Formats: sequence, C-alpha cells, structure tokens
Amino acid sequence: MSLVGAKVLRKEDPRLLSGTGTYVDDLSPAQCAFASFVTSAEAHATIDAIDVRAALAIPGVLAVYTAADFTDYPDLPGGLPTLERPALARNTVRFVGEPVAVVVAEDRYIAADAVAAVTVSYSPLKVMTTIEDATAGDSVPLFPRHGSNVITIVPTMDDLEKELAKCHGRASLHIVNQRCAAVPIEPMAVLADWKPDGLTVWATFQAPHHLRNYLATWLDIPQMNCRVVAPDVGGGFGSKIVWYPELFIAPVISKLLRRPVKFAQTRTEAMMQMAHGRDQVHDIEVGYEKDGTIKALRLIVSQNLGAYGDPTGLGLAVLTTWMAAGAYRIPKVSTSFRTVVTNTTPVAAYRGAGRPEAAYSIERIVDQVARQTGLDPAVVRQRNFIPPSAFPYETHNEAVVYDSADFPAALAECLRIVDYDAVRAEQKARRNDPSKPLLGIGLSCWLEIAGFGPNGSLEGFGHLASWESAQVRIQPDGSAIVYSGSSPHGQGHETMLSQIASDELGISFDRIKVITGDTAAVLQGIGTMGSRGAPTAGSAVKVASSRVLTRAKRIAAHLLEAAEEDLEVVDDAFNVKGSPGKKVSWGDVAWASFQPLRIPPELQAGSLEERLFQESPNFSYPSGAYACVVEIDRETGDVTIRDMVLVDDCGTVINPLLAEGQVHGGVAQGIAQALYEGVSYDSSTGQPVTANLLDYLVPSAADLPDYKVGRTTTLCPNNPLGAKGIGESGSVGAPPAVINAIVDALSEFGVDHIDMPATPEKIWKAMKSGGNS
Amino acid sequence: MSVALPTSVDEVVDLLVRNPSATLLAGGTDLMVEVNLHGRRPTDVVALNRVAELRTWSVDSSRRTVTIGSGVPYAEMETGELARLLPALAEAARTVGSPQIRAAGTLGGNLGTCSPAGDGLPVLAALEASIDVVGPNGSRQVHFADFMVGVKRNSLRPSEFVRSVTFPLNDGWQGYAKVGTRNAMVIATASVCLVRTNDHVAVALGAVGPTIIRANGAEAWLAANHRMSSPPSNDTLAEFGRLVREASRPIDDHRSTAAYRRHAVGVLAQRLLTRSYS
Ligand SMILES: Cc1cc2nc3c(=O)[nH]c(=O)nc-3n(C[C@H](O)[C@H](O)[C@H](O)COP(=O)(O)OP(=O)(O)OC[C@H]3O[C@@H](n4cnc5c(N)ncnc54)[C@H](O)[C@@H]3O)c2cc1C
Repeated sequence: MSLVGAKVLRKEDPRLLSGTGTYVDDLSPAQCAFASFVTSAEAHATIDAIDVRAALAIPGVLAVYTAADFTDYPDLPGGLPTLERPALARNTVRFVGEPVAVVVAEDRYIAADAVAAVTVSYSPLKVMTTIEDATAGDSVPLFPRHGSNVITIVPTMDDLEKELAKCHGRASLHIVNQRCAAVPIEPMAVLADWKPDGLTVWATFQAPHHLRNYLATWLDIPQMNCRVVAPDVGGGFGSKIVWYPELFIAPVISKLLRRPVKFAQTRTEAMMQMAHGRDQVHDIEVGYEKDGTIKALRLIVSQNLGAYGDPTGLGLAVLTTWMAAGAYRIPKVSTSFRTVVTNTTPVAAYRGAGRPEAAYSIERIVDQVARQTGLDPAVVRQRNFIPPSAFPYETHNEAVVYDSADFPAALAECLRIVDYDAVRAEQKARRNDPSKPLLGIGLSCWLEIAGFGPNGSLEGFGHLASWESAQVRIQPDGSAIVYSGSSPHGQGHETMLSQIASDELGISFDRIKVITGDTAAVLQGIGTMGSRGAPTAGSAVKVASSRVLTRAKRIAAHLLEAAEEDLEVVDDAFNVKGSPGKKVSWGDVAWASFQPLRIPPELQAGSLEERLFQESPNFSYPSGAYACVVEIDRETGDVTIRDMVLVDDCGTVINPLLAEGQVHGGVAQGIAQALYEGVSYDSSTGQPVTANLLDYLVPSAADLPDYKVGRTTTLCPNNPLGAKGIGESGSVGAPPAVINAIVDALSEFGVDHIDMPATPEKIWKAMKSGGNS
Repeated sequence: MSVALPTSVDEVVDLLVRNPSATLLAGGTDLMVEVNLHGRRPTDVVALNRVAELRTWSVDSSRRTVTIGSGVPYAEMETGELARLLPALAEAARTVGSPQIRAAGTLGGNLGTCSPAGDGLPVLAALEASIDVVGPNGSRQVHFADFMVGVKRNSLRPSEFVRSVTFPLNDGWQGYAKVGTRNAMVIATASVCLVRTNDHVAVALGAVGPTIIRANGAEAWLAANHRMSSPPSNDTLAEFGRLVREASRPIDDHRSTAAYRRHAVGVLAQRLLTRSYS
C-alpha cells in the first residue's frame, strides 16, 4: 500500500505539541551571555553621538559595541552597490528599529536595562514612509550616493495603449496591496559559540546552509569551520531567509568575549525588525470585448522596499509581473515596475512573495470586467481561461511556462461545492430585505509560480543553487536515515519525506528518520521557501531512495540466490514472488551490505547509501478555485465569512492532512490580509503604529470560518513526484476571493473596489459614500 | 523591588499606609504590560491574590444586591450563578481578552486602570454599582459615576484601594455589546451596556469619551416618549440612536475614527434596546 497520498499523522507533532521541541531560545550553554540591541527611535536621521558610559557602568554588562567596533567587517551581504547596509547603523539610520548598538550582559534583563541606558543623539532628516512621499519633488534620497529613492526601474516596451483603445471596453483599478508582517510564532533568535576550532551558530532560519555560506564569507573563515544549525523553527513565512544584522553580529561578539552569546527578539522588536511583505501599489488596466474576453492587460507595479534593498525584496515585483495574467489567455500583456526605498522596515518575501499581489490584481480586474459587461464573474472567468489542452502554456514572459492545470474543472468543482446558483438567488432575494445582512460571493481562480528549483531561479536571489539535496542512508539494522537540505519550520518535512522514502524503499514509516537543519549533518542544502519542499526535496528523496533500493535488491537477490526481477519488497522484507517463505528481511540485507564477504562482488561495503542534488527543468504552477461567501452588517460594516470553499490543485498530494494544513494556514493569512492585517506608520514621524499584536490584527480562531476543501489534480510533469507544492497557495488565493465577495455585496451601493484590509469602518464609509470615499 | 504578600484587607491597608506609593498587583494583566512594554518600574508591589476576602462574592437577598470582591477574575463572572444574576456583566466578561486573560484579570484591576475601553466599566455605570473603597480611615462607598474621573484616572485617595463592587439586582433586562477590530483579544472601539426596568432604560457608553458616559438625554427622552411595556417603533429607535450618538464624545485614533465610533455606539444601543424585548 502506498503511503504517498495517505493521511499519515505528523511524526514531529508529539515533540512539538508536548513542549519537548528545541528552539534556539531553549538552548543555554554554560557561560552564555545575552545580547540586546539599541535600535533607532528615529525613522530617518544622522547619528550625532552614542553615549554608552552609563550602560557600561551597570553591573553585569559585559560590553557595548557600535558601528565603530565593526569597521573590520564588510557590509551585510546582498546589498546593491550604493545601497549597502552595515551590520550596525553607521552615521545614518533609515527606519525605526534599525540596530544602532549592541549590549552584551550576563542575562537578558540586565541587557534590557543597559539598552535603556544607552543614549543616542540624532539629527532628524526628512521622513518618507510611502512610495508617494519617497518619490515626491521634495523627497531626499535615503542613499545620497544613489541619488534617488527609486532603486530599479523595469519599463515596458509597449504600453498597449493601441490595443486597449481598440477594445470594446476598458476596465482599470488602482490597487494597494498593503504591507503585512509575517508574525512567525517564534521571533528571530540566534546563539553563537565561537571556539578555537570553529564556530557554531544556532539560528531560527529557513535555510541554514545559505546562512553558513554567507556567514563564513562575511567572517572570513573557511566554511568547514562554520556550522549552522536550525533546530526546531517556529514558523518563518519568508521572514527567516533575510540577512538580519543580529545573525552576523552574534558570532563576532562570541569571538570577542570568548563566550557563547544569545539574542532572542521580543515581539515588539520582531514587528519592527523582521522583514515585512507585500507593500505594492498597482495600476491595472484591461481591454475587453462585449463577451467579456480580455484582449490586453497592462500592469504597472510600484514596490516599497523599505529602508534597504533586500535581495528577495528587490525580486518580488519580478514575480508579480511574471504572474500578471493569472489563469487567463490574454493575447497582449505589458508589465513594468519600479522599486522604491522608504523609511520603513525592509520588505522581503512573505508567504506567496510577489504572487499574491499578482493574483489579487488580476482576480480583482476580472471581476471589474464582469461588473462593466454585466456578465457573471464565473462566466467571464470561463471565457478567458487557458484551456487544459494548451499546456505547457507559454506566457508573456519567456521564463514562465505554465506546466499543467484544468481551470474549468477547478472552477466547476468550486461552484458545485459552494452551490453558486443558490447563493446568487439568495443574494437577489436579500437585496430587497434590509432586515438581513448584505450577501456577497467572490471567486478567485488563482495560479502561482512555485517549486523554485530550475537552475538560476534561486541564484537570482543570492542562493548557491536551486537544486535540493537528499541523502538516504541505510543503517545496519535496516532502518533508514534521510537527510534533506530543505530545512523545515513547521511544514511537516519529517512526515512527508518519510512517506516518500518508505514507499520507495519498502521500509516501514516508523523505521525512517529525517534529519534536516544542521550543516554538519546535511552536507549541502538550499532551504525551504517558494513552495519547493515537495517538488524538489521530496523528489530528491524519491530518486535517492529508489537508487538505494536497486542496490538493496541486488544484495537480497544474492543472499536468496534469486533473480532481482523476481523480488518484491513487502513489510520490510524482500520476497521471491510466487515462493512464499523465500525471503530475507530488510534488516538482514542491510546487515549484509556492510559485510564484504556477503555482497555481490560488483558492490562495495556501505553501498546502501545515495546522495543526490535534484534539479528541475521548470517551475511548478499550483492553482485553484476559491469561493468566499460573506455577510455584511448593513449598519456596522462588519464582515462575517459564511462560507469559504477551497479547491486546490497541487498535483500529487503526498499527505492530505499536511496539504490541508498548509491550505488552512495560508488561507488564514490570506483572510487576515483581506480583513485585518496591515502594517502602518505615522507618515510624518515614521513611527510604527502596529508594532504589537494588539494593533497588528492577527486573527484568532474566533475570526475564521470553517473551510470546505475540494481538489482537482493535474500532475506536474517536471518532477518525478508530480507534486506542485502547496505551502503558499492559501495566501495567494484567499485575498481576492474575500475582497471580491465584499465588493460584490456592496455593489448595490456603487462600490467598485475596497482596499485591504476591508475593516468595518472602511465598509461603512463605502456604504455611505457609494464608493466615492 | 519589594513584593508584599498580604493575606487580609487590614494588612493591605497597613502596607499602603506605610508606603502610599506602593503598587497594587491583582491579575497583572494591565500592570505587567505597563512594566514590560511601557517602562513602568514599580519599586514596591503589594500582591492581592492571597487576600481571600477579595476573591469571594456574595448575595444580600434582603438588600437585593450582589457584592463581588475586587479580586474575583472575569472567568467566574462568565457562567454560573453570577452570570444568572448579572447577565450584562457576564456578557462583558466574555468579551475580555482571551481565556488566559479572563482567568487572571479582575474588576479591581479594571477599576484601577480606569480605561474608557475597560469592558467592566459600562456595566458598573449602567447598573449604578457602588464601589467599596478601603483606606486608612476605614471604608467608604463611592458611586461609579464619582469613581472614574478621567482617562485612566479615578478618585482613589492615597493608600486607598477597592475592596469590592456592589451591584443592585433588578428584575429588568440587561445586556452588553462591544465593537472591536476583531472578534477576540480586542480593545473596544465602542461599547454599550443597557439596562431596562419597568420605568427606565439606563445606557452607558464605553470607549467613546474620556470616561464612561451615561446617555442621560437618550434615557430621559425614552422615559418620556416610550411606553416601556412594548417594543420600540422604528422612529423611536432612530431618535434613541441619535441621542445616544449625540451623548458620545469620541476621538480619532489609529484603531478607529471618531465618526465610526459615534455611529457604532448608536447602533449598539439600538440593538440592545431591540434585544431587550426579544
Ligand atoms: C492580552 C490582553 C487583553 C486584554 N483584553 C481586555 C479586554 O478585552 N477588555 C478589558 O476591559 N481589558 C482588557 N485587558 C486589560 C485587563 O485585562 C483588564 O483591565 C483587567 O481588568 C485588569 O485586571 P488585573 O486584575 O489584571 O489588574 P492588574 O494589572 O493587576 O492591575 C491594574 C491596575 O489596577 C490597580 N489595581 C489592581 N487591583 C486594585 C484594587 N483592588 N484597588 C485599586 N487598584 C487596583 C493596579 O495597581 C494597576 O494599576 C487586556 C489585557 C491584556 C494583557
């Protein structure tokens, strides 16, 4: 029986749910000192002086360092020329929360007191928190050497004005995709221990090898002496593949003080220092014919990068423009973007990273076409879908070739589950019944680019390569250890990879152990991001396992004096087909595999081991059709999600429980973006006003609906598993479904669009003003 | 920092007399936020959780009152006998924070903090609860209206603290409603407690002014223009809502605009009035 596809309970849960997992802050080596950062209270200023004397006088304070102590070290990796970011702010601070000095003390409480005792004097500079402010006539450059706050511009060759003008009608929207915070349950934490024979760093990170590669270079030590461990990691969502200064500073402090040094953020620090996501402004316009078919699409994107150009942050708009046309066959597509620095926390990947922004705009504009043509939104989608026969489908961008999908089938399934016609009928009936809340239904036929594995795809973001590694090692007793370079942070890799290995090897699930996240154990690796775990790491384990099995069969055949082709693996044993009782256990084969006298002459001892780097010829393109039914309180504007239907196509489902878990979590974040969350700043001072969980509205279970889940399956032809990845799907698909539903409900008030988060107050204002707010 | 662990009300008074600047600690759900996030550094703390008397409540059937110790946590008000006696308080208690916060947070702390958004306070205002304040000169009863004097300001004198709150029991209807930015773990952007008896409707508004506001104009208008025995007409509701809005004095902040707060408090009051007849 195949385990791939089965609802196997998560292996890691007993540890994680019983409080026996190990996170960075659970580790406390002897003599461990604690670091805490003095961070900028100003959004944009020059540093006049830093007075550390009072802090140093506090008993238990070991040291205070400023940029002056780091002149021997380079700027943080990944910065563009003229946009470099030093580990500690040098001369200029560019956002509130930017580390300015670091205090090291015997414990975190003394460190906190000492941080408060450091005085920094600033001369304020002009504060610009929005793209508009940073590009206005009176703006001043954050990086005077760069000269402008516009960092990159990728213009379009053709603005499609002609094509748009030829169409029967044009629809356009100005869309703000607001800034969000990733809010992993575990904020940043790092522990560094510099020993004469090498450095070990424990960090809550999504890509330990990536950190090892850059950290060693930055510290100018050989990688062999730089071990990075990502122990249990409490969520990441993209915010833990960023070059935070703390990661680089901690090892230096440990070296200077000759003690292990730990830093663990508070939530408020995390809200200001961990990278944010989204923060794009779109102008989208389409030209359509009378029947709703879209002939031309123009998308103009502005990306707020925050105060520094994170390598991923700089690439977000690329992904957005790649995915601009979504699930639709649009003959002419034109995209352009620019990226702009502002006095805010840097922006990087956040679950979906560039694709939720694309899906949101295309799904909003399709609804607008429906509105303007008077057609049903489902019909407009059906008329524009790329047909299943058109795959692989070449898009407006040569890097993007959709692998496989059946959009009409997914939408049909979604409409069936939500009972679309019945909801439409109910909605009509309610129009004339003010005693009932408004009703709206929204669709989202989304598509995203995932499975970051093709050569070159991650190199562009600064990674060593884009393959993923696997190593499968059979122990002498026939149990197996699987090493994966994709280091998880909650997804369930131990379960998923064990299922795959178990199927391939014929070794039972419980006799497979998965090891990740330690550069001393896992030889090389890339990491967990971009919905690549199953497509790349899963495929790597599948192929490596099957190669091990081939050799194991050879040994088994040798031991049984049978032909390899006659063997089958059942219940941890190799049986000769048709000869009951003629068998040898996996344990015996494994044991023999280490004994040169018992193996076939062409094999060597220890051959039941395989290591490989799995490459992918193309990305994968998970897709789906979501429907959201909302009720809106006519007086308060309060939104209740009555129904949320999620039909996903992620290719091969390895474990329905894990897949649903990923979708539930992603949809929660998507609903959160649609209704609740948004990072905001006081625009005149640049002070964050949402730097805690009271004001940054992460939803609770009480705010979220039950989900109805459906599925269609088109296999990914580009990896041996046929899997597309599902980690980001929910956060891509949910926001447009929710907002389309809200706009649908408000249509009788003449409302065409409402920006996220759609708070009750915004909706109330829209109802009052008929959308002219 | 010193922490005293008194076990009786007298001991608390003694400690406060000796050190009027000592900080009282009940559930700590406000105080620890002050300490951890806002840099408050108390030097002497008097912890109340071992004072058994503060953690009890009782009914006086002859006087028709319920007296709740200042250290009784919200969790005890949410269900059971207290919830039956004081349904509005139960409704308010259920909206406070999360289960963890309700297991620790107390009315004494809500009164100590005296935030206009405190969920217990509109209930005290609408029910005209009286607060038993103990100090060096014994105890005094303070009407809620005289207790809360401004944003996070109360009329406690040095070395005084809240022993208990006494609520009159009545046969009427009472309810509490709150609007916030999400469904749980949320500070009210507007809240209303409404109490309807045979001849009167009392309405108290939270989070829409520097103190809890009694909508006196709306109350008087209803008493004069509405027959309490029957549900309000649409016109009555409209005028009632208008007068409630008029009574509010909200401000703009990053959680809500004044305009929305004013609107919401009117809607909540109208809905509570309607609900009181259903
Ligand atoms: C996550 C979170 C969510 C919250 N949600 C809500 C909510 O939804 N609604 C709401 O109203 N509040 C909320 N609060 C605030 C808080 O829980 C309440 O105000 C609670 O009533 C405080 O009670 P406490 O016992 O914890 O007070 P403490 O924190 O112990 O004390 C608060 C203040 O009152 C003083 N004090 C305590 N006892 C007395 C006494 N007997 N006499 C005089 N002064 C005293 C203290 O010195 C202190 O100044 C929330 C707090 C948190 C942390």
